[in-house]
Amino acid sequence: MKNTYLTENTAPTENSVLTESAAPAEHAVPTENAAPGGHAALSNERNRSARRQQLTVRIFQYILLTVLAVFLCLPFLFMVFQSVMPEPQFQAGQILPTSFTGLGYVKLFSEHNYLTYFLNTLVIVGFNVIAMPLASSFCAYSFARLKWRGKELVFACVLSTLMIPGVVTQIPLFLMFSSWGWTNTPWPLTIPTLFGGGAINIFLFRQFMRGIPMELEEAAKIDGANAFRRWFSITLPLCVPILLFVAVGAFGSSWGDYFQPMFYFTDPKKFTLAYTVYKIVVLDGVKVNSVAMAAGVFMSVLPALVFFLLQRKLIDGIMVGAVKG
Amino acid sequence: MKARKEADEAVILTDVPARRRENKFFTPRRRRMLTGWLTGVLFALPVILGVLIFTYYPAIQAFVSSFTKDGEFAGIYHYETIFVYDPDTWPVFGNTLLYALVSVPFSLVLGYFLALAANFKVKGIALYRILFYLPVVIPGVASGLLFAHMMASLNSNGVFNMILHSMGLGELPFFEEASTSMLSLLFMSVWTTGGSMIIWLSAFKNIPSTLYEAAKLDGANAWDCLVHITIPMSTPLIFYNLVTGVIGALQCTTPLVIVGDRFGTAGGGAGNAIYFISVKILNEFGYTFYEYASALAIVLFAVVGIFTLILFKTSKWVFYGEEK
Repeated sequence: MKNTYLTENTAPTENSVLTESAAPAEHAVPTENAAPGGHAALSNERNRSARRQQLTVRIFQYILLTVLAVFLCLPFLFMVFQSVMPEPQFQAGQILPTSFTGLGYVKLFSEHNYLTYFLNTLVIVGFNVIAMPLASSFCAYSFARLKWRGKELVFACVLSTLMIPGVVTQIPLFLMFSSWGWTNTPWPLTIPTLFGGGAINIFLFRQFMRGIPMELEEAAKIDGANAFRRWFSITLPLCVPILLFVAVGAFGSSWGDYFQPMFYFTDPKKFTLAYTVYKIVVLDGVKVNSVAMAAGVFMSVLPALVFFLLQRKLIDGIMVGAVKG
Repeated sequence: MKARKEADEAVILTDVPARRRENKFFTPRRRRMLTGWLTGVLFALPVILGVLIFTYYPAIQAFVSSFTKDGEFAGIYHYETIFVYDPDTWPVFGNTLLYALVSVPFSLVLGYFLALAANFKVKGIALYRILFYLPVVIPGVASGLLFAHMMASLNSNGVFNMILHSMGLGELPFFEEASTSMLSLLFMSVWTTGGSMIIWLSAFKNIPSTLYEAAKLDGANAWDCLVHITIPMSTPLIFYNLVTGVIGALQCTTPLVIVGDRFGTAGGGAGNAIYFISVKILNEFGYTFYEYASALAIVLFAVVGIFTLILFKTSKWVFYGEEK
């Protein structure tokens, strides 16, 4: 618990702005409810009208927010509804189901081997979720905290890889990995993560670590902690927000990745979920609507759940990343 | 220890200048520096190796092979094909550029308005923010599948068309016709504006409130505050979003998921109206034109580079604060 204490108090001090304090942008929204004092009766009158005005503004705000939320979430609610809609109702052109069926989900698992795909995906996702934050924070520690000649140059070289479109390296990588016999294995989607965990993540970690006060580390250094210990026991526990952010990013990118598996997987036993959805639903075209929609729902439930559980910390983390970026 | 001492003495006796040289080189300070350097490099080693093996080497390989045909040097053969002979080239590049130039500012502006709403100081705003951001966390393949389904024709029970029809507005072809495909793609991107909303929200929070207080004292209204404080103060984030957004949009592969291969070319859409560079590269590779695909990828890289360069060269409007 000491760690969380440290996080709350000493982690990037300049970022305390994130903790729901003064929010200047409300100025950008017209709210004229200042009622400067006057005569007692008058001010009373004014107070009341100001309050009424405030109430109107509130109601207007809620209506606007609700309309936006409904608009943005409706397609996904719709997907859920369609996944439990019996086929005849869909054929009849109904938008919302009048009775429910779980047939879409049953068929998904019985006809399409979904459990295997799910497990395949979990292996890749689980590996990346753990390896990516660790690997990128490890390397970022070198760029943020250690002093060595050539550091800036190496860092510039690492960052410059962001400019290279993925599709440029995709084809030679595919040829390289297949010459290593890595097709139909999870390796192409996992092992590269160990090597730095992505330039952008290293960048985010480096920026975040620079905001952590040096004193703690210097104290540990005097106590004889080596660089590895200083990274693992001092810096890492202070990086929880960004660790979480990178981990969820890793989850999202490997969970939803249909592009890379397209290259590496030819054996249906090795398919991942996202690729399966792409292949059997988009390319082959599943005939039954509820099965297609169930596939979509099944793909979306876990990311949505992860986001719901971690949203508060995550939005902060995104903000940290964004602010520093 | 004793043996060491003897050895040292032996060195002194036999080869004095050599020992001095060695001593000069490995002073305790230097040794410490060397250990420090080694530690630093060791920590960075994974990414150094990773970048070399998984990015630079393949990139160079792609570059080299773009100048070869069937393994033999062929000069600019493939580039000539791209720019002179391939009828796909101009539409593909045109589509991609159009999409990048329209979708990025579009989602930034839309995200800004969404962020204004998400910044209301009301109870339960956190829940609204989750709901606004939720569509962003849905995997692209799931949302692509969903929107393709919703934008289907009336005959295929597309929901948008059912709604339009019930309102007596007729039917929209969406992805079924070339003229409406690009607009439909932009329409889809409305649902992921929550992504740039977050950037804006963090920009809002990072602006010192004293600026607004001072402006208010000077009699500034909400619009003045927006134009003269909020937007200038968030320009670094706008710039960041612009650069990453443009790079991302130039590599967009979303049509693969939406239209599949229903229209002949995988991911091309009706009349190839939403045929993008990355998708074209993938298709060429699928036909085993590996070297041609590499040449296309290099051209895409050049396009991305040019755009990034233009953005950086014209970034005078970005305000990084007084201290820098």
